[in-house]
Amino acid sequence: MSDTAYVQLLNLTAGAVLLCAVLVLWRRELAVIIRLFAAQGVALAALIAVLAWHEGSPELAVLAAGVAVLRAGVLPAVLRRALGTAREGTEPVREVRPVVNVAASLLAAALLTLLAFAVSRPIVELAPSPATQAVPIGMAVVLIGFFVLVTRRRAVSHLVGFLLMDNGITAVGFLTTAGIGLIVEVGVALDVLLALLVLQVLTGRMREAFGNTDLDELRELHD
Amino acid sequence: MNTVEVALGCAAGSALLAVLAALVVRRRARPAVVGTLTAITGAAGVVAGAAALLGERFAVELPWIVPLSGIALTVDGLGAAFLAVSGAVAVAAAIYGIGYSHHGLDSRGVQATFPLFVLSLLLVPAAGSITTFLVCWELMALTSLVLVVSEHRRRAEVASAARWYAVMTHLGFVAVLIGLLILSAPADGDAFAAVRAAAADLSPAVAGTAFVLCLAGFGSKSGIVPLHAWLPRAHPEAPSHVSALMSAAMVNLGVYGIVRVGFDLLAVDAERWWWLLVLVLGAISAGYGILQAVVSTDLKRLLAHSTTENMGLVLVGVGASGLFASIGSPVLAALALTAALMHVVGHAAFKTLLFLAAGSVLHATGTRDLDSLGGLRTGMPLTTAAFGLGALAASALPPGTAFVSEWVLLQSLIHGLPAPDAAPAAAPTVTVVVLPLAVAVVALTAGLAVVTFVKAFGVGFLARPRSDAAAHAIESPATMLAGMGLAAVAATVLAVAPTLVLPTLGRVAAGLVGSPAPIADAVSVELVGVTGLLSPVLVVVALVVAAVLVVAIPRVLAGRRARREARLWDCGGGPLSPRTEYTATSFAEPLQRVFDTVLQPVQDVDVTHHQESRYLIAAVEYRRRVPDRIERHLYEPVLSFVTRWGRAGRALATGSVHRYLGYGLCTLCALMLLLVLA
Repeated sequence: MSDTAYVQLLNLTAGAVLLCAVLVLWRRELAVIIRLFAAQGVALAALIAVLAWHEGSPELAVLAAGVAVLRAGVLPAVLRRALGTAREGTEPVREVRPVVNVAASLLAAALLTLLAFAVSRPIVELAPSPATQAVPIGMAVVLIGFFVLVTRRRAVSHLVGFLLMDNGITAVGFLTTAGIGLIVEVGVALDVLLALLVLQVLTGRMREAFGNTDLDELRELHD
Repeated sequence: MNTVEVALGCAAGSALLAVLAALVVRRRARPAVVGTLTAITGAAGVVAGAAALLGERFAVELPWIVPLSGIALTVDGLGAAFLAVSGAVAVAAAIYGIGYSHHGLDSRGVQATFPLFVLSLLLVPAAGSITTFLVCWELMALTSLVLVVSEHRRRAEVASAARWYAVMTHLGFVAVLIGLLILSAPADGDAFAAVRAAAADLSPAVAGTAFVLCLAGFGSKSGIVPLHAWLPRAHPEAPSHVSALMSAAMVNLGVYGIVRVGFDLLAVDAERWWWLLVLVLGAISAGYGILQAVVSTDLKRLLAHSTTENMGLVLVGVGASGLFASIGSPVLAALALTAALMHVVGHAAFKTLLFLAAGSVLHATGTRDLDSLGGLRTGMPLTTAAFGLGALAASALPPGTAFVSEWVLLQSLIHGLPAPDAAPAAAPTVTVVVLPLAVAVVALTAGLAVVTFVKAFGVGFLARPRSDAAAHAIESPATMLAGMGLAAVAATVLAVAPTLVLPTLGRVAAGLVGSPAPIADAVSVELVGVTGLLSPVLVVVALVVAAVLVVAIPRVLAGRRARREARLWDCGGGPLSPRTEYTATSFAEPLQRVFDTVLQPVQDVDVTHHQESRYLIAAVEYRRRVPDRIERHLYEPVLSFVTRWGRAGRALATGSVHRYLGYGLCTLCALMLLLVLA
């Protein structure tokens, strides 16, 4: 693969990762948000595949396939199950009233991306290469994921926010070090899966106990 | 293999065995097994200390116990004195605990913690490196805290006392930690020997900071004003045998820390103002502690305040010793330090006795309030005798235990005053001002201590009972009496034959300040280097003769006339009821008036009139409280500030998940912005 094609493919996939994160902020239907998250998983896997192709590393290719299965297949499926039980209930399957409205959220996402670019400049300068130049995008995805956690009220949106952060961290990891070892990556992936399963159960319990999953209702601790 | 090593090994082994026994033995047999094993631990500590005092030296390093630094134990003369004292107190307290633990204190946790506490008391003075010292110090703080809260189900005040203790002891630990780390930073390793070697290179400011931090931390453990606030709370609320251990053994280790740092580790950097500070703090503590004790009506609280007083006196000795060393009179320095060490030993003996006797009263009557005690002499003759002996020992009157050490202390202070015909340059001005004041403080506390213990003994044990509980009190079980008996024997021996230990302590002190031994090996206390001679045996004989004469002569004279039994004149008002007796409050009232400006008591008098006539009074209610002024002016502003700060902080925590996450995001973004801008 020629260098220009590599750079363009890398930028394309990285851009897709960021775009999916921003779109999560834009859309309100929970089902669409999950679909966007799955799309981001695909983009992330593609990004790793491009890196694997460029470096000619079969290990990275295996990892790309693993990321695709986990982040575009398993995790969205779990999320959909969490949502599926919600559909049987009476609560709306939309993010009705986010803490910060959509327009302001998009503006904030722009600012966070700027911040990510500004703050990762030293990292890029350390070893300027096409891969490290995409690092700010990973950082931006982390920040946007955090922003989703802060501003969205529904439990499923929170799960997606948490997973967006994890996607961002994974992207930064791959872009800076070209893979952090198979074992570590598998460990992290299983960790995330486990956390998500626990949170899904927790969401179900919340719904059973309170009738909805609006986290703003949870304000007091009781025995 | 020397005696110290074997004895310390025995102590550690039997303490760990006691912990194990506490966990596995059945509840009924548990206090007896644990108490016996703990007493063996204490006895082994005494043996180790005595052997080391007689000249054996011991040092061992066990690198495998604690990772990175390991444990190093070194027993020298100074450590040995404190080791022996802790061990002796532990023997009495452990035997006493066998009988005392049967009501609610026989749970696994409490019984397993007690031997650990005793072991930590033995290991602190045996520590040979800073890490070891800090580990043992913290073990001591934690185990004593667990023991303080052991009766929390029975009384609500225990929790509050434990909170005070936990916070203050850990702030003290932080101070000690910082102070000792400052010392060990430039040293090669953290062994005391290495720290001592590196101390010469410290700048005066650094050494002074380290000393003041250590003084604050160790002083708070000793209950030195103004860091005493926890002591009158925690000591009374602990079970009585634990109170005895805390008040007679644990507080000593604060003094040990100050002496260890000031006279040993930092000896080359010691400056005069350090010791002036110690002396002044000691004098203030002694005066303030005994004033609080005089007006206290809670028996164990009174004893706790008296602990502050005695530790103050010890620090007066330590401070005076440092002062003398700094103006170049090592003989007096050794004498003052000997007095301080002797007072530590004597105080340990009589305070153990008093706390154990107070525990016996609490065990029998369920109250510590002197105003509702009285008349215990008939029901509890042995406890009464024990407390009486302890009160005599504590009140610095011949032939009491405290008398000997205070006499030596006064000798050193008085001989430190410049002779009238001496050249003005011979002594710095500060000693001319400080030493007479110190003499005055020691004399004042001695007088007030007499009042305090006359009050505690007379109101608490003599006269007629003021409550049903006191009237029906019965004597404690044999093990408790045995514990008190041991402490009583120790106090008596120290009072009558102080020269059994005094010359040895003198050699320890002389070794620290580098002078010849200040006290001669003789039956009577004979000072070396300055004139002074006291024969406790002769004093006792003279007093006994005088007492016999006072009792016998009226008998002989009256024997010639016919004797007639009659009721005491009661103004015709019928038999006097216990309500007409002196109470602890009324006994202390005149003194409280004298020291009104210092104590600032809060008094309320409510007069209820008859409905029919304003001129007839139905009832008069008198309430008096003596709040701790230092506490009010020093602690309350800090506490209220912390409370306000906490309230303000609560506004940030509304319970909303989004807000908490938002704090995280904002902090992260702010941090990143800072990185970008920097």
